This record gives sequence, structure tokens and C-alpha cells, in this order.
Amino acid sequence: MNINDYSKSREAYLRACKVIPSGIYGHQGPAEGCYTPVEAWPLFSDRAQGSYFWDVDGNRFIDYMCGYGPNILGYHDPDVDEAARKQREKEDCVTIPSTKMIDFAELLVDTVACADWAFFAKNGNDVTTLAVLTARAYTHRKKIVFFKGYYHGVAPWTQKLDYSGILEEDVMHNLYVDWNDFDALAELFDCYKGEIAAVIGQPYMHGNFKDNELPADGFWQKVRKLCTDNGTVLIVDDVRAGWRIDLQGSDHYFGFEADLICFCKALANGYNVSALCGKEFLKNAVSGLSYTGSYWMSAVPFAAGIACIEKMKKLDLPKVLNEKGKKLSDGLVAAGQKYGFDLRVSGMPSLFYLRLADDPSLMLHQEWIAECVKRGVFFTTHHNHFINYALSDDDIAQTVAVAEEAFDVVRKRHPL
Amino acid sequence: MKDAKTLAYINLFAVLGAIPYLCDLDREAAELIQDKSVSVGFAVKGGPEATLFFGSGKCRMAPGVDRCQVKLPFSSCEKFNGLIDGTVTPIPSKGFTKIGFLTGPFTKLTDRLTMFLKPDAAALEDSEFFHVSTTLMFHVIAEAIAQIANHDKVGMFSASNIVDGTAKLSIAGGPAAALCCRDHRMTAVHQAPAEYLSYMEFQDMALARALFDGNVNAIAAVGLGQVRIGGQISQVDNINRILDRVAVYLA
Repeated sequence: MNINDYSKSREAYLRACKVIPSGIYGHQGPAEGCYTPVEAWPLFSDRAQGSYFWDVDGNRFIDYMCGYGPNILGYHDPDVDEAARKQREKEDCVTIPSTKMIDFAELLVDTVACADWAFFAKNGNDVTTLAVLTARAYTHRKKIVFFKGYYHGVAPWTQKLDYSGILEEDVMHNLYVDWNDFDALAELFDCYKGEIAAVIGQPYMHGNFKDNELPADGFWQKVRKLCTDNGTVLIVDDVRAGWRIDLQGSDHYFGFEADLICFCKALANGYNVSALCGKEFLKNAVSGLSYTGSYWMSAVPFAAGIACIEKMKKLDLPKVLNEKGKKLSDGLVAAGQKYGFDLRVSGMPSLFYLRLADDPSLMLHQEWIAECVKRGVFFTTHHNHFINYALSDDDIAQTVAVAEEAFDVVRKRHPL
Repeated sequence: MKDAKTLAYINLFAVLGAIPYLCDLDREAAELIQDKSVSVGFAVKGGPEATLFFGSGKCRMAPGVDRCQVKLPFSSCEKFNGLIDGTVTPIPSKGFTKIGFLTGPFTKLTDRLTMFLKPDAAALEDSEFFHVSTTLMFHVIAEAIAQIANHDKVGMFSASNIVDGTAKLSIAGGPAAALCCRDHRMTAVHQAPAEYLSYMEFQDMALARALFDGNVNAIAAVGLGQVRIGGQISQVDNINRILDRVAVYLA
């Protein structure tokens, strides 16, 4: 198989470093993206279509990160793009909002099990922050409970005491418990009786560098009751997993109802919009907040979001994505076994997380992933992956073939 | 925010703890302790205790002051930190016959240490000086990471998120250290570990120096392949957060 050359990516990175802090900041950069070794990864893309993107050197990748989630139907999905194009011809970012906003809110209320209303913004971080503000405004309490290994964005309240630029005061009301440890959570509620505004959690633990963990039987139901009994708002951060598990919300899939649920990423197949949906009793609280943004009522992403949700419903998309993810996972595991590797797949198949269990340091895993990327399969070493609808059986077969060759290379370096 | 107790641990174990490496690396320092056989203990009330042992032309540091010949007591961490920044003159509580070592060779040693750790830009033009200075700085930083992880409030928070195992910190073609994490406490061992769970390696002494001096962006350096990280990157990530605190204490 061909091994990618990234000369143009490197040139572009040198240019970027001169005018952009750290060249590429954040999760899409080589440091936070854990590109190990950095030479195995492309740094800048040129175009995208379906389940692929092409980098600036012309290398094609089967993309299992999907822009870290937004690409759920395939890049440039014709139905979503057409709806966006039509809306763009009419208007987008204007002084007063389009009624597309109402259409989109009505569709979300009809679709999402716990939703009585929808509030729109741009990024996941906007709506997780809005959810916490709403919970504090409603309860007049300060404390927020997090499950360790969480990610809820980058606003100061979501960060940790030791993060650069964060004050102790920013995180002094944050409380932490281990995922799936209901007893510890109940103990926290005892310790801080009447002080806990909200519990915020992703529908299951998709923390980095470790196997993803589904909720234990009855866990969410007990959390739900504990919150209800104590007047605490239950927030589900469905930014990452939303629309890939259950179109009615991941809380619906796991058999409970959130008070507030946060969506972004796959909500509009890459058009930039996020939404906080919630129950009626919180509508006045959220109405009273001072919270807005220059682009939050742009109509094009609303039109794209409507088309995206309608198509996802028509396709019964979570089922399809989980089938594709299962097929891929089975193929990867079998490829690993052929070369004596113990590849573990965790989380939902539509959001699968990979780890080679043969080496606790993850160095072997990083080697294997790097060999896959060099051959045109874009995996990451540390994060869960994402399946999109455009991923074909041929793509899956090609991915498994690349994975096999990568396993072969790594095994030759590390003979049994 | 600096905490006086954490700073005292850094000053003793990282800064004065670099004297053994100074004696190994710098000929003039080695000459100062040639034929000297003496031990100097530092006892800080409410803080760290350690002894520098000089003998056979070598120096080593060990925790505690039970076996020291010259004992320098300090009534508080602040007083001890004053010794390091030159505002406090210590008075020995024992070992008066060895006081000549303190006022003579030991003072010259600490002066040389300061010269290497806070160098003039011009001095760094000399390749030998550059090598010694950067190597000493590496050891000071490696040790300071461990002390901050164990004593500083924010550092302890970072350490609480570090999984058990050893992280290798190294400069290619230069010094290496093992940061051994166990039960969220950290110990620095100033040599390369045989096995490690994660690693962070600087491509050469010049790059390491530029990073230490804050002249290079560490994130960009990762992107450029000048800093290699791998293995359990969550471990390296948390160590990097502690590394940010080193600058707060040693600036």
C-alpha cells in the first residue's frame, strides 16, 4: 500500500506557526490531537466528500473522526446542502430571526423525548454553559457535580484547577465523582444537602485514553431519582453522542429523562449550530438569562439542521450507524487476532473507541494507529471515533485491509 | 501563587539538590570539594530536611539531617527561602569546626550554581558552559516537578489525576530523568528509566534550553516534532500542567 507523503502539510504548518498560536490550537492540532509520531498525520485538509477528506498533499483518508463528530450523513450530504443553499439564497444572518428558527425548535420538540423547548447557539460549549446557568438560576444553588473523565467544553467552569488561566474561584463549586459510582454521588448529595444545582454527565463515559464505559444497569435511573428528590437539575451533555445513539436523545436510549439536554456536533451535519433542549419547568429560568451571540440566529444552519434531522429520521440512522460500526469493529478485531494482537473496542459501535490491550503504555497502540493513518485511514490514538452514513461496505473492507497491513508492520517490529 | 513550603522543598531538593550534578559536570566545582569530607544538613521547621555529603571528590544529597556534621537550622520555610535568595545568613547549630567549609568552598559552590542556573546571555555562547547550565537546569526542573506534585495545592491536584507508573523526561543526547508516580505522589530519579509508561523527549539541548527560557512554544514544538510525547499521554499531560507551575516557582 502507498505510504502518505505530507510535505505540503508540513510547509503549511510552518506558515501557520508564524501567525497562529501553536500553529493549530486545540483538539484538531497535533499536540492535543495526540499525533504520535507527528510525521504519520496530515495537518491540513483540502476538501471532503462523503466519508473521505483529502489533505493538502492530495492524500485521501477514510475519516473516522468526522470532524470530531459533526459529519454524520457524509460530507456534502446533498439533501442538507440543498436545504442550506436554498436558505442562503433568501437570508442568513439578519437583524431579526427567520421563522426557520421556530421550524427547527418545533422539530426538536417533536423529536427529542425530554424537550419542551429549544434554545440555539453555535458550539457545544455555548449550550453546556447555558445549561449550568439555567440550573443555577432555577435552583439558586452553586454546586455542580461532574463525572470524572468528563468533557463539557472549554469555558472556565468546565476546566480544572490546574489548567492554565483558570482561577480557583472558577472551579470552586465543582464536585467530582467516579462514573457509575452511585453511592459516591449519593454521599455527595448528603454532604452538600440543598447546595447542588445540577448533575451534568455525558450519556456514558467516553473519556480519552481509556476504554469507554456504558452506564451500569439502573445507574441513570437512580441518578434521575436522586436529582428529582433533591430538587437538582439533571443535565445530559449529548454534544458528542447525540444523534448516533437515539434520535430521541441518548437519555431516551438509556431509559431516563434529562431535565436539560445539550446538542451540537451532528445536529446539522457540519453546519454550525447547537441547541439546548429542556423541560417546561425550566423555560422561565432560561428566558431570564442574558445569553446571546452574533451568529446564534443565523438561518442557514437552522435549515441544514431541519434537513439533517428529517433525513436521520427517515434512515433510522442510529441503527444504521451502529450496524456499520459493528461490522467495522468485528473486522478490526479479527485483523488484530490474525497477528496476535488483542484489540479492544468499547462504547457504542457508532462511537467506537479502540485500544490495543497488549501494552498498558499504549505505545504499541500508537504505533498501530500511526501505520493506519499513513495508509489513509484516519483514526486517533486517544479519542472515540465516529461513524457516518456515507461509510460504505467497501470503505469498511478497505479499512480492515489497511488495519491488517498495519498490524503486520507492527508485529514485524515486535515479534511474539 | 507561590507557597513558601513548596518553594522550600524546591529550593532544597531541586536547587541545592543540583550541587551533586554541578560537582560532576563542572571541573572548578569538583576542585572545590576535592579532599573535602564534610556533610551539611539543612533542617527547616515545618518544611524539608536534607543533607549534602561531600567526600572523595563527589557530592550526594540524602533526605534527613541525622548524620550531618554541620547543621543549619531554619525557623521557617520563609527563612530558608531567604537563604536561597541571599537575604538570610544561616547560623549553624552544630559543626562549628567545619564552618570554614561553609564560608569557603560551599559558598563558592553555590555561587557557581547560581552562575549556571541564572546565566548571563553572553556566557551561554560558550558551548561547555551552555551544556553544564542546560543540564543543571534540566535536573532542577525534573526535581521541582516532583516537589510541586507532592506539596503545591495545584500541583497535588494535577498529581491526583496521574496514573501509577514512570514517565521518562529526556533531552536527546543529553540528560534524562524518571518521574515515578505512585498513589499520586511523585519521585524524581535523575537517570533514564529502563521501562516507562510515557515519555517526553526534547530533540536536543538547544531546543530544551529555548523551552526552559520560554523562547519556544511547547505546543508548536510538538507539532514540529521537536518535542516527542508518547505512551500514556494523560500522564505527560498532567506532568506538563505541573511543569507550568515550575515556572511560577523558579521564575
